[in-house]
Amino acid sequence: MSVSNNGYYHDGLVLRLVQFSVLWAVVAMSVGVFIAAEFLWPTLDLGQFWLSFGRLRPLHTNGVIFGFGVSALMATAFYSVQRTSHVTLFLPKLAWFCCYAWQLTVLFGGISLLAGWTSSKEYAELEWPFDIAIAVIWVCFGIVFFGTIARRRIRPIYISNWFYGGLIIVIAMLHIVNNLALPVSIGKSYSLYAGAQDAIVQWWYGHNAVGFLLTGGFLGMLYYFLPKQAEQPIWSYRLSVVAFWAFTYSYIWAGPHHLHYNAIPEWVQSLGMVMSLVLLAPSWATMINGIMTVSKAWPKLKTDPALKFIVLSLAFYGLATFEGPMMAIRSVNVVSHFTDWTIGHVHSGALGWNALVTYGTFYFLVPRLVGAELHSTRLANLHFVLALAGTLLYILSMWAAGVSQGLLWLSVDKLGELSFTFRDIMTGMKPYYALRLVAGLMFLSGTVLMAYNLFMTTRGRQPLQCAPAPVPEPWRLPESGYRTVTAKQVNA
Amino acid sequence: MGWFLFIGDMLVMLFMTALVVWLSLRSTTETLDYSARIPLEDDQDHG
Repeated sequence: MSVSNNGYYHDGLVLRLVQFSVLWAVVAMSVGVFIAAEFLWPTLDLGQFWLSFGRLRPLHTNGVIFGFGVSALMATAFYSVQRTSHVTLFLPKLAWFCCYAWQLTVLFGGISLLAGWTSSKEYAELEWPFDIAIAVIWVCFGIVFFGTIARRRIRPIYISNWFYGGLIIVIAMLHIVNNLALPVSIGKSYSLYAGAQDAIVQWWYGHNAVGFLLTGGFLGMLYYFLPKQAEQPIWSYRLSVVAFWAFTYSYIWAGPHHLHYNAIPEWVQSLGMVMSLVLLAPSWATMINGIMTVSKAWPKLKTDPALKFIVLSLAFYGLATFEGPMMAIRSVNVVSHFTDWTIGHVHSGALGWNALVTYGTFYFLVPRLVGAELHSTRLANLHFVLALAGTLLYILSMWAAGVSQGLLWLSVDKLGELSFTFRDIMTGMKPYYALRLVAGLMFLSGTVLMAYNLFMTTRGRQPLQCAPAPVPEPWRLPESGYRTVTAKQVNA
Repeated sequence: MGWFLFIGDMLVMLFMTALVVWLSLRSTTETLDYSARIPLEDDQDHG
Protein backbone atom coordinates (compact mmCIF):
# COMPACT_ATOMS: atom_id res chain seq x y z
CA MET A 1 0.00 0.00 0.00
CA SER A 2 2.81 2.39 -0.96
CA VAL A 3 1.82 6.04 -0.94
CA SER A 4 4.37 7.86 -3.08
CA ASN A 5 5.18 4.64 -4.97
CA ASN A 6 8.47 6.20 -6.19
CA GLY A 7 6.80 7.73 -9.21
CA TYR A 8 5.28 4.44 -10.37
CA TYR A 9 1.61 3.95 -11.15
CA HIS A 10 -0.54 2.60 -8.32
CA ASP A 11 -1.35 -0.66 -10.05
CA GLY A 12 -1.48 -2.74 -6.86
CA LEU A 13 -4.68 -0.88 -6.07
CA VAL A 14 -6.05 -1.61 -9.53
CA LEU A 15 -5.33 -5.33 -9.17
CA ARG A 16 -6.97 -5.46 -5.73
CA LEU A 17 -10.12 -3.81 -7.07
CA VAL A 18 -10.21 -6.28 -9.98
CA GLN A 19 -9.96 -9.15 -7.48
CA PHE A 20 -12.85 -7.75 -5.43
CA SER A 21 -14.89 -7.21 -8.59
CA VAL A 22 -14.43 -10.84 -9.70
CA LEU A 23 -15.30 -12.06 -6.21
CA TRP A 24 -18.52 -10.02 -6.18
CA ALA A 25 -19.39 -11.25 -9.68
CA VAL A 26 -19.24 -14.88 -8.52
CA VAL A 27 -21.16 -14.21 -5.28
CA ALA A 28 -23.88 -11.95 -6.73
CA MET A 29 -24.44 -14.08 -9.83
CA SER A 30 -24.72 -17.19 -7.63
CA VAL A 31 -27.46 -15.42 -5.71
CA GLY A 32 -29.12 -14.62 -9.05
CA VAL A 33 -29.05 -18.29 -10.05
CA PHE A 34 -30.50 -19.28 -6.67
CA ILE A 35 -33.46 -16.90 -6.98
CA ALA A 36 -34.00 -18.08 -10.57
CA ALA A 37 -34.31 -21.59 -9.09
CA GLU A 38 -36.82 -20.29 -6.54
CA PHE A 39 -39.16 -19.46 -9.42
CA LEU A 40 -39.27 -23.18 -10.18
CA TRP A 41 -39.04 -24.51 -6.63
CA PRO A 42 -40.44 -21.85 -4.26
CA THR A 43 -39.78 -24.00 -1.18
CA LEU A 44 -36.04 -23.59 -1.74
CA ASP A 45 -36.17 -20.75 0.79
CA LEU A 46 -36.69 -23.41 3.49
CA GLY A 47 -39.12 -21.08 5.20
CA GLN A 48 -36.29 -18.68 6.08
CA PHE A 49 -36.96 -14.97 5.51
CA TRP A 50 -33.34 -14.31 4.60
CA LEU A 51 -33.55 -16.88 1.81
CA SER A 52 -36.78 -15.46 0.39
CA PHE A 53 -36.92 -13.88 -3.07
CA GLY A 54 -37.81 -10.48 -1.57
CA ARG A 55 -34.53 -10.31 0.36
CA LEU A 56 -32.23 -12.09 -2.06
CA ARG A 57 -33.28 -10.13 -5.12
CA PRO A 58 -31.94 -6.78 -3.87
CA LEU A 59 -28.82 -8.60 -2.66
CA HIS A 60 -28.35 -9.88 -6.23
CA THR A 61 -28.84 -6.47 -7.85
CA ASN A 62 -26.79 -4.54 -5.29
CA GLY A 63 -24.03 -7.15 -5.39
CA VAL A 64 -23.81 -7.07 -9.16
CA ILE A 65 -24.14 -3.30 -9.62
CA PHE A 66 -22.22 -1.98 -6.62
CA GLY A 67 -19.94 -4.92 -5.85
CA PHE A 68 -18.98 -6.21 -9.28
CA GLY A 69 -19.76 -3.15 -11.41
CA VAL A 70 -18.48 -0.29 -9.28
CA SER A 71 -15.33 -2.16 -8.22
CA ALA A 72 -14.58 -2.78 -11.91
CA LEU A 73 -15.27 0.87 -12.72
CA MET A 74 -13.03 2.09 -9.90
CA ALA A 75 -10.26 -0.28 -11.02
CA THR A 76 -10.38 0.76 -14.66
CA ALA A 77 -10.88 4.45 -13.85
CA PHE A 78 -7.80 4.46 -11.60
CA TYR A 79 -5.81 2.50 -14.20
CA SER A 80 -6.73 4.65 -17.18
CA VAL A 81 -6.77 8.08 -15.54
CA GLN A 82 -3.15 7.62 -14.46
CA ARG A 83 -2.05 6.63 -17.94
CA THR A 84 -4.11 9.15 -19.91
CA SER A 85 -2.93 11.91 -17.54
CA HIS A 86 0.69 10.66 -17.44
CA VAL A 87 0.85 11.05 -13.65
CA THR A 88 0.40 8.80 -10.64
CA LEU A 89 -2.81 8.93 -8.61
CA PHE A 90 -3.64 12.01 -6.57
CA LEU A 91 -3.89 11.12 -2.85
CA PRO A 92 -3.27 7.36 -3.25
CA LYS A 93 -4.07 6.72 0.44
CA LEU A 94 -7.54 8.08 -0.21
CA ALA A 95 -7.82 5.80 -3.23
CA TRP A 96 -6.97 2.78 -1.05
CA PHE A 97 -9.56 4.00 1.45
CA CYS A 98 -12.14 4.09 -1.37
CA CYS A 99 -11.24 0.51 -2.32
CA TYR A 100 -11.63 -1.08 1.12
CA ALA A 101 -14.41 1.17 2.44
CA TRP A 102 -16.45 0.40 -0.66
CA GLN A 103 -16.07 -3.36 -0.20
CA LEU A 104 -17.06 -3.12 3.46
CA THR A 105 -20.10 -1.01 2.59
CA VAL A 106 -21.26 -3.51 -0.03
CA LEU A 107 -20.60 -6.43 2.35
CA PHE A 108 -22.43 -5.00 5.36
CA GLY A 109 -25.07 -3.42 3.14
CA GLY A 110 -25.74 -6.85 1.68
CA ILE A 111 -26.06 -8.36 5.15
CA SER A 112 -28.49 -5.59 6.12
CA LEU A 113 -30.65 -6.44 3.10
CA LEU A 114 -30.76 -10.07 4.21
CA ALA A 115 -31.78 -8.84 7.66
CA GLY A 116 -34.71 -7.00 6.12
CA TRP A 117 -33.41 -3.43 6.26
CA THR A 118 -34.66 -1.76 3.10
CA SER A 119 -35.86 1.61 1.89
CA SER A 120 -37.91 -0.24 -0.77
CA LYS A 121 -36.49 1.92 -3.56
CA GLU A 122 -35.23 -0.19 -6.45
CA TYR A 123 -31.41 -0.12 -6.81
CA ALA A 124 -31.38 2.21 -3.76
CA GLU A 125 -32.59 -0.28 -1.14
CA LEU A 126 -29.78 0.32 1.33
CA GLU A 127 -30.80 2.24 4.44
CA TRP A 128 -29.50 5.62 5.50
CA PRO A 129 -26.26 4.62 7.31
CA PHE A 130 -25.08 2.94 4.10
CA ASP A 131 -26.35 5.83 1.98
CA ILE A 132 -24.12 8.19 3.97
CA ALA A 133 -21.15 5.84 3.66
CA ILE A 134 -21.68 5.57 -0.12
CA ALA A 135 -21.87 9.36 -0.47
CA VAL A 136 -18.62 9.85 1.50
CA ILE A 137 -16.72 7.17 -0.45
CA TRP A 138 -18.05 8.48 -3.75
CA VAL A 139 -16.85 12.00 -2.97
CA CYS A 140 -13.41 10.56 -2.08
CA PHE A 141 -13.43 8.67 -5.41
CA GLY A 142 -14.16 11.99 -7.14
CA ILE A 143 -11.36 13.78 -5.28
CA VAL A 144 -8.80 11.15 -6.35
CA PHE A 145 -10.06 11.05 -9.94
CA PHE A 146 -10.41 14.78 -10.58
CA GLY A 147 -7.28 15.52 -8.54
CA THR A 148 -5.33 13.23 -10.86
CA ILE A 149 -6.76 14.99 -13.93
CA ALA A 150 -5.94 18.40 -12.44
CA ARG A 151 -2.28 17.29 -12.03
CA ARG A 152 -2.06 15.84 -15.53
CA ARG A 153 1.00 16.42 -17.74
CA ILE A 154 -0.89 16.24 -21.02
CA ARG A 155 -3.20 18.89 -22.37
CA PRO A 156 -6.13 16.93 -23.84
CA ILE A 157 -8.43 15.10 -21.44
CA TYR A 158 -9.04 11.75 -23.11
CA ILE A 159 -12.68 10.84 -23.84
CA SER A 160 -12.79 7.93 -21.36
CA ASN A 161 -12.13 10.43 -18.56
CA TRP A 162 -15.16 12.47 -19.60
CA PHE A 163 -17.35 9.40 -19.22
CA TYR A 164 -15.80 8.44 -15.88
CA GLY A 165 -16.15 12.08 -14.75
CA GLY A 166 -19.81 12.09 -15.78
CA LEU A 167 -20.30 8.87 -13.84
CA ILE A 168 -18.82 10.35 -10.66
CA ILE A 169 -20.66 13.68 -10.78
CA VAL A 170 -24.09 12.46 -11.86
CA ILE A 171 -24.21 9.41 -9.59
CA ALA A 172 -23.30 11.61 -6.61
CA MET A 173 -26.16 13.96 -7.48
CA LEU A 174 -28.68 11.15 -8.07
CA HIS A 175 -27.71 9.21 -4.96
CA ILE A 176 -27.88 12.15 -2.59
CA VAL A 177 -31.16 13.58 -3.92
CA ASN A 178 -32.98 10.24 -4.16
CA ASN A 179 -31.91 9.09 -0.71
CA LEU A 180 -32.90 12.21 1.25
CA ALA A 181 -34.83 10.68 4.13
CA LEU A 182 -35.82 11.09 7.76
CA PRO A 183 -34.24 8.35 9.89
CA VAL A 184 -36.42 6.95 12.68
CA SER A 185 -34.02 4.22 13.81
CA ILE A 186 -30.66 2.78 12.79
CA GLY A 187 -32.30 0.53 10.21
CA LYS A 188 -35.35 2.51 9.14
CA SER A 189 -35.98 5.85 7.48
CA TYR A 190 -38.77 7.51 5.53
CA SER A 191 -38.21 9.27 2.22
CA LEU A 192 -38.66 13.03 2.11
CA TYR A 193 -40.82 12.53 -0.99
CA ALA A 194 -44.27 11.02 -1.16
CA GLY A 195 -46.64 9.57 -3.73
CA ALA A 196 -46.13 10.43 -7.39
CA GLN A 197 -43.32 12.83 -6.46
CA ASP A 198 -41.46 9.95 -4.81
CA ALA A 199 -41.98 7.82 -7.91
CA ILE A 200 -40.65 10.51 -10.24
CA VAL A 201 -37.55 11.11 -8.10
CA GLN A 202 -36.98 7.36 -7.73
CA TRP A 203 -37.05 6.76 -11.50
CA TRP A 204 -35.05 9.86 -12.21
CA TYR A 205 -32.47 8.11 -10.01
CA GLY A 206 -33.14 4.57 -11.22
CA HIS A 207 -32.96 5.25 -14.91
CA ASN A 208 -29.96 7.54 -14.67
CA ALA A 209 -28.12 5.08 -12.45
CA VAL A 210 -28.50 2.72 -15.40
CA GLY A 211 -27.50 5.58 -17.70
CA PHE A 212 -24.48 7.07 -16.03
CA LEU A 213 -23.18 4.01 -14.16
CA LEU A 214 -24.08 0.97 -16.26
CA THR A 215 -23.85 2.83 -19.57
CA GLY A 216 -21.68 5.93 -19.18
CA GLY A 217 -19.18 4.41 -16.75
CA PHE A 218 -18.71 1.30 -18.86
CA LEU A 219 -18.40 3.45 -22.00
CA GLY A 220 -15.43 5.04 -20.26
CA MET A 221 -13.99 1.54 -19.91
CA LEU A 222 -14.75 0.79 -23.57
CA TYR A 223 -13.21 4.00 -24.91
CA TYR A 224 -9.94 3.29 -23.15
CA PHE A 225 -9.58 -0.47 -23.46
CA LEU A 226 -11.03 -1.00 -26.95
CA PRO A 227 -8.30 1.05 -28.69
CA LYS A 228 -5.69 -0.64 -26.48
CA GLN A 229 -6.85 -4.11 -27.44
CA ALA A 230 -7.48 -3.34 -31.11
CA GLU A 231 -4.21 -1.37 -31.26
CA GLN A 232 -6.11 1.25 -33.24
CA PRO A 233 -7.17 4.77 -32.32
CA ILE A 234 -10.88 5.43 -31.97
CA TRP A 235 -12.35 5.60 -35.49
CA SER A 236 -13.77 9.11 -34.98
CA TYR A 237 -12.69 11.02 -31.91
CA ARG A 238 -14.96 13.91 -32.87
CA LEU A 239 -17.96 11.55 -32.92
CA SER A 240 -17.04 10.25 -29.48
CA VAL A 241 -17.07 13.78 -28.05
CA VAL A 242 -20.40 14.65 -29.68
CA ALA A 243 -21.84 11.32 -28.51
CA PHE A 244 -20.71 12.01 -24.92
CA TRP A 245 -22.47 15.36 -24.71
CA ALA A 246 -25.57 14.19 -26.57
CA PHE A 247 -25.72 11.15 -24.27
CA THR A 248 -25.34 13.32 -21.16
CA TYR A 249 -28.02 15.80 -22.17
CA SER A 250 -30.51 13.19 -23.39
CA TYR A 251 -30.26 10.52 -20.71
CA ILE A 252 -31.16 12.69 -17.76
CA TRP A 253 -34.70 13.26 -19.13
CA ALA A 254 -35.66 9.68 -19.93
CA GLY A 255 -36.59 8.35 -16.45
CA PRO A 256 -40.38 8.92 -16.64
CA HIS A 257 -40.71 6.12 -19.22
CA HIS A 258 -40.64 3.80 -16.18
CA LEU A 259 -43.93 5.39 -15.08
CA HIS A 260 -46.10 5.14 -18.20
CA TYR A 261 -49.82 4.98 -17.40
CA ASN A 262 -49.09 5.94 -13.78
CA ALA A 263 -50.35 8.90 -11.75
CA ILE A 264 -47.86 11.40 -13.14
CA PRO A 265 -48.58 14.17 -15.68
CA GLU A 266 -49.00 12.87 -19.21
CA TRP A 267 -46.55 15.39 -20.63
CA VAL A 268 -43.87 14.03 -18.28
CA GLN A 269 -44.51 10.55 -19.67
CA SER A 270 -44.35 11.91 -23.24
CA LEU A 271 -41.11 13.72 -22.46
CA GLY A 272 -39.59 10.51 -21.09
CA MET A 273 -40.67 8.61 -24.20
CA VAL A 274 -39.37 11.20 -26.66
CA MET A 275 -36.03 11.59 -24.90
CA SER A 276 -35.66 7.81 -24.82
CA LEU A 277 -36.04 7.75 -28.60
CA VAL A 278 -33.57 10.64 -28.95
CA LEU A 279 -31.08 8.51 -26.98
CA LEU A 280 -30.84 6.11 -29.91
CA ALA A 281 -28.60 8.61 -31.70
CA PRO A 282 -25.73 8.91 -29.17
CA SER A 283 -26.00 5.23 -28.22
CA TRP A 284 -25.63 4.01 -31.76
CA ALA A 285 -23.00 6.64 -32.55
CA THR A 286 -20.85 5.01 -29.89
CA MET A 287 -21.62 1.51 -31.11
CA ILE A 288 -20.76 2.43 -34.71
CA ASN A 289 -17.58 4.16 -33.50
CA GLY A 290 -16.58 1.00 -31.65
CA ILE A 291 -17.36 -1.38 -34.53
CA MET A 292 -15.48 0.83 -37.01
CA THR A 293 -12.50 0.90 -34.65
CA VAL A 294 -12.46 -2.89 -34.46
CA SER A 295 -12.99 -3.23 -38.21
CA LYS A 296 -9.30 -2.47 -38.72
CA ALA A 297 -8.33 -5.26 -36.36
CA TRP A 298 -10.53 -8.20 -37.40
CA PRO A 299 -7.62 -10.67 -37.66
CA LYS A 300 -6.92 -10.16 -33.93
CA LEU A 301 -10.36 -11.56 -33.15
CA LYS A 302 -9.15 -15.05 -34.09
CA THR A 303 -6.42 -15.06 -31.47
CA ASP A 304 -7.41 -12.57 -28.78
CA PRO A 305 -10.20 -13.75 -26.44
CA ALA A 306 -10.26 -10.37 -24.67
CA LEU A 307 -11.09 -8.55 -27.91
CA LYS A 308 -13.82 -11.10 -28.68
CA PHE A 309 -15.57 -10.26 -25.41
CA ILE A 310 -15.38 -6.54 -26.14
CA VAL A 311 -16.74 -6.87 -29.68
CA LEU A 312 -19.59 -9.06 -28.51
CA SER A 313 -20.37 -6.56 -25.76
CA LEU A 314 -20.68 -3.87 -28.44
CA ALA A 315 -23.26 -5.98 -30.26
CA PHE A 316 -25.30 -6.41 -27.09
CA TYR A 317 -24.87 -2.70 -26.32
CA GLY A 318 -26.43 -1.94 -29.71
CA LEU A 319 -29.22 -4.42 -29.08
CA ALA A 320 -30.05 -3.18 -25.58
CA THR A 321 -29.91 0.50 -26.55
CA PHE A 322 -32.30 -0.18 -29.44
CA GLU A 323 -34.68 -2.27 -27.36
CA GLY A 324 -34.80 0.27 -24.49
CA PRO A 325 -36.18 3.17 -26.57
CA MET A 326 -38.65 0.80 -28.26
CA MET A 327 -39.93 -0.32 -24.84
CA ALA A 328 -40.27 3.34 -23.83
CA ILE A 329 -42.89 3.88 -26.54
CA ARG A 330 -46.18 3.88 -24.66
CA SER A 331 -48.01 1.53 -27.01
CA VAL A 332 -45.17 -1.01 -26.67
CA ASN A 333 -44.84 -0.40 -22.95
CA VAL A 334 -48.47 -1.36 -22.42
CA VAL A 335 -47.43 -4.91 -23.34
CA SER A 336 -43.93 -5.01 -21.87
CA HIS A 337 -44.43 -3.30 -18.50
CA PHE A 338 -44.64 -5.58 -15.45
CA THR A 339 -43.58 -8.59 -17.54
CA ASP A 340 -40.40 -10.64 -17.86
CA TRP A 341 -39.63 -8.80 -21.09
CA THR A 342 -38.19 -6.07 -18.84
CA ILE A 343 -36.05 -8.67 -17.05
CA GLY A 344 -34.78 -9.90 -20.43
CA HIS A 345 -33.98 -6.33 -21.49
CA VAL A 346 -32.11 -5.57 -18.28
CA HIS A 347 -30.03 -8.73 -18.64
CA SER A 348 -29.22 -8.12 -22.29
CA GLY A 349 -27.60 -4.96 -20.95
CA ALA A 350 -26.19 -6.34 -17.71
CA LEU A 351 -24.85 -9.65 -19.02
CA GLY A 352 -24.35 -8.86 -22.70
CA TRP A 353 -22.93 -5.37 -22.31
CA ASN A 354 -21.67 -4.69 -18.77
CA ALA A 355 -20.34 -8.11 -17.86
CA LEU A 356 -18.81 -8.91 -21.25
CA VAL A 357 -17.02 -5.58 -21.66
CA THR A 358 -15.68 -6.02 -18.11
CA TYR A 359 -14.57 -9.61 -18.74
CA GLY A 360 -12.79 -8.58 -21.93
CA THR A 361 -11.09 -5.76 -20.06
CA PHE A 362 -10.01 -8.07 -17.21
CA TYR A 363 -8.57 -10.65 -19.64
CA PHE A 364 -6.53 -7.84 -21.17
CA LEU A 365 -5.66 -5.99 -18.00
CA VAL A 366 -4.71 -8.65 -15.46
CA PRO A 367 -1.90 -10.31 -17.47
CA ARG A 368 -0.48 -6.85 -18.24
CA LEU A 369 -0.62 -5.82 -14.59
CA VAL A 370 1.54 -8.74 -13.48
CA GLY A 371 3.63 -9.05 -16.64
CA ALA A 372 2.54 -12.60 -17.49
CA GLU A 373 0.66 -14.47 -20.17
CA LEU A 374 -2.95 -15.40 -19.47
CA HIS A 375 -2.94 -18.79 -17.69
CA SER A 376 -5.20 -20.47 -20.26
CA THR A 377 -6.47 -19.03 -23.56
CA ARG A 378 -8.49 -22.20 -24.04
CA LEU A 379 -10.41 -21.59 -20.80
CA ALA A 380 -11.02 -17.98 -21.85
CA ASN A 381 -12.43 -19.20 -25.19
CA LEU A 382 -14.66 -21.68 -23.36
CA HIS A 383 -15.80 -18.82 -21.13
CA PHE A 384 -16.68 -16.83 -24.25
CA VAL A 385 -18.90 -19.63 -25.58
CA LEU A 386 -20.63 -20.09 -22.19
CA ALA A 387 -21.18 -16.34 -21.83
CA LEU A 388 -22.59 -15.95 -25.33
CA ALA A 389 -24.87 -18.98 -25.08
CA GLY A 390 -25.97 -18.09 -21.55
CA THR A 391 -26.80 -14.50 -22.46
CA LEU A 392 -28.73 -15.45 -25.61
CA LEU A 393 -30.69 -18.17 -23.85
CA TYR A 394 -31.52 -15.81 -20.99
CA ILE A 395 -32.76 -13.05 -23.28
CA LEU A 396 -34.75 -15.34 -25.56
CA SER A 397 -36.49 -17.15 -22.69
CA MET A 398 -37.44 -13.87 -21.03
CA TRP A 399 -38.63 -12.34 -24.30
CA ALA A 400 -40.89 -15.32 -24.88
CA ALA A 401 -42.14 -15.27 -21.30
CA GLY A 402 -42.63 -11.50 -21.25
CA VAL A 403 -44.47 -11.15 -24.53
CA SER A 404 -46.72 -14.09 -23.57
CA GLN A 405 -47.47 -12.49 -20.20
CA GLY A 406 -48.17 -9.07 -21.71
CA LEU A 407 -50.55 -10.38 -24.36
CA LEU A 408 -52.32 -12.82 -22.05
CA TRP A 409 -52.84 -10.16 -19.38
CA LEU A 410 -54.43 -7.85 -21.96
CA SER A 411 -56.69 -10.59 -23.28
CA VAL A 412 -60.40 -10.14 -22.36
CA ASP A 413 -63.52 -12.08 -23.27
CA LYS A 414 -66.76 -10.78 -24.83
CA LEU A 415 -67.94 -9.43 -21.48
CA GLY A 416 -64.71 -7.58 -20.86
CA GLU A 417 -63.58 -10.04 -18.19
CA LEU A 418 -59.94 -11.15 -18.06
CA SER A 419 -59.52 -14.33 -20.14
CA PHE A 420 -56.76 -15.70 -17.92
CA THR A 421 -56.01 -15.43 -14.22
CA PHE A 422 -52.60 -14.32 -12.99
CA ARG A 423 -52.07 -17.80 -11.56
CA ASP A 424 -52.90 -19.51 -14.88
CA ILE A 425 -50.41 -17.35 -16.73
CA MET A 426 -47.62 -17.81 -14.20
CA THR A 427 -48.11 -21.57 -14.15
CA GLY A 428 -47.48 -21.58 -17.91
CA MET A 429 -44.16 -19.81 -17.42
CA LYS A 430 -42.32 -22.78 -15.93
CA PRO A 431 -40.53 -23.88 -19.13
CA TYR A 432 -39.22 -20.35 -19.67
CA TYR A 433 -38.04 -20.12 -16.08
CA ALA A 434 -36.28 -23.47 -16.44
CA LEU A 435 -34.46 -22.14 -19.52
CA ARG A 436 -33.56 -18.98 -17.61
CA LEU A 437 -32.07 -21.08 -14.82
CA VAL A 438 -29.96 -23.04 -17.32
CA ALA A 439 -28.84 -19.78 -18.92
CA GLY A 440 -27.86 -18.34 -15.55
CA LEU A 441 -25.90 -21.46 -14.66
CA MET A 442 -24.02 -21.27 -17.97
CA PHE A 443 -23.14 -17.62 -17.46
CA LEU A 444 -22.10 -18.23 -13.85
CA SER A 445 -19.94 -21.22 -14.87
CA GLY A 446 -18.10 -19.02 -17.34
CA THR A 447 -17.53 -16.40 -14.66
CA VAL A 448 -16.12 -19.03 -12.30
CA LEU A 449 -13.77 -20.19 -15.07
CA MET A 450 -12.57 -16.62 -15.49
CA ALA A 451 -12.03 -16.25 -11.74
CA TYR A 452 -9.87 -19.42 -11.77
CA ASN A 453 -8.01 -18.32 -14.91
CA LEU A 454 -7.19 -14.88 -13.53
CA PHE A 455 -6.27 -16.31 -10.13
CA MET A 456 -3.80 -18.70 -11.77
CA THR A 457 -2.44 -15.83 -13.90
CA THR A 458 -1.68 -13.68 -10.86
CA ARG A 459 -0.73 -16.44 -8.40
CA GLY A 460 2.65 -15.75 -6.83
CA ARG A 461 3.15 -12.56 -8.85
CA GLN A 462 3.27 -8.90 -7.88
CA PRO A 463 2.05 -5.98 -10.02
CA LEU A 464 4.78 -4.60 -12.29
CA GLN A 465 6.20 -1.19 -11.53
CA CYS A 466 5.29 1.11 -14.38
CA ALA A 467 6.16 4.79 -14.71
CA PRO A 468 4.40 7.48 -16.74
CA ALA A 469 5.56 7.76 -20.34
CA PRO A 470 6.95 11.11 -21.57
CA VAL A 471 4.56 13.47 -23.34
CA PRO A 472 5.70 15.05 -26.62
CA GLU A 473 5.59 18.78 -27.29
CA PRO A 474 3.32 20.70 -27.77
CA TRP A 475 0.97 18.53 -25.73
CA ARG A 476 3.07 18.51 -22.58
CA LEU A 477 1.91 20.48 -19.54
CA PRO A 478 4.25 21.72 -16.83
CA GLU A 479 3.97 20.20 -13.36
CA SER A 480 2.20 23.27 -12.03
CA GLY A 481 -0.96 22.34 -13.94
CA TYR A 482 -3.02 23.04 -17.00
CA ARG A 483 -4.07 26.53 -16.02
CA THR A 484 -0.65 27.90 -16.90
CA VAL A 485 -0.98 26.96 -20.57
CA THR A 486 -3.62 28.28 -22.90
CA ALA A 487 -4.76 26.84 -26.21
CA LYS A 488 -3.19 29.80 -27.98
CA GLN A 489 0.20 29.09 -26.38
CA VAL A 490 0.04 25.43 -27.37
CA ASN A 491 -0.86 26.24 -30.96
CA ALA A 492 1.93 28.80 -31.07
CA MET B 1 -48.50 24.60 -19.50
CA GLY B 2 -47.34 21.06 -20.34
CA TRP B 3 -46.66 21.96 -23.97
CA PHE B 4 -44.90 25.15 -22.92
CA LEU B 5 -42.52 23.19 -20.69
CA PHE B 6 -42.05 20.45 -23.27
CA ILE B 7 -41.22 22.83 -26.14
CA GLY B 8 -39.01 24.85 -23.81
CA ASP B 9 -37.14 21.71 -22.83
CA MET B 10 -36.65 20.80 -26.46
CA LEU B 11 -35.31 24.27 -27.29
CA VAL B 12 -32.84 24.11 -24.41
CA MET B 13 -31.72 20.68 -25.62
CA LEU B 14 -31.30 21.97 -29.15
CA PHE B 15 -29.24 24.91 -27.96
CA MET B 16 -26.99 22.75 -25.78
CA THR B 17 -26.47 20.16 -28.50
CA ALA B 18 -25.68 22.86 -31.05
CA LEU B 19 -23.24 24.43 -28.60
CA VAL B 20 -21.44 21.14 -28.08
CA VAL B 21 -21.25 20.36 -31.79
CA TRP B 22 -19.89 23.85 -32.41
CA LEU B 23 -17.31 23.48 -29.63
CA SER B 24 -16.20 20.08 -30.88
CA LEU B 25 -15.89 21.35 -34.45
CA ARG B 26 -13.59 24.10 -33.23
CA SER B 27 -10.95 21.56 -32.24
CA THR B 28 -8.14 21.26 -34.75
CA THR B 29 -7.60 18.01 -36.63
CA GLU B 30 -4.15 17.69 -35.02
CA THR B 31 -5.65 17.92 -31.53
CA LEU B 32 -8.31 15.31 -32.32
CA ASP B 33 -5.79 12.95 -33.95
CA TYR B 34 -3.42 13.23 -31.04
CA SER B 35 -6.25 12.80 -28.51
CA ALA B 36 -7.43 9.65 -30.26
CA ARG B 37 -3.94 8.14 -29.98
CA ILE B 38 -3.53 8.82 -26.25
CA PRO B 39 -4.26 5.23 -25.13
CA LEU B 40 -1.86 3.88 -27.77
CA GLU B 41 1.05 6.05 -26.65
CA ASP B 42 0.81 5.85 -22.88
CA ASP B 43 2.81 2.63 -22.57
CA GLN B 44 5.15 3.03 -19.72
CA ASP B 45 8.67 2.13 -18.73
CA HIS B 46 8.89 -0.96 -16.59
CA GLY B 47 11.02 -0.45 -13.51
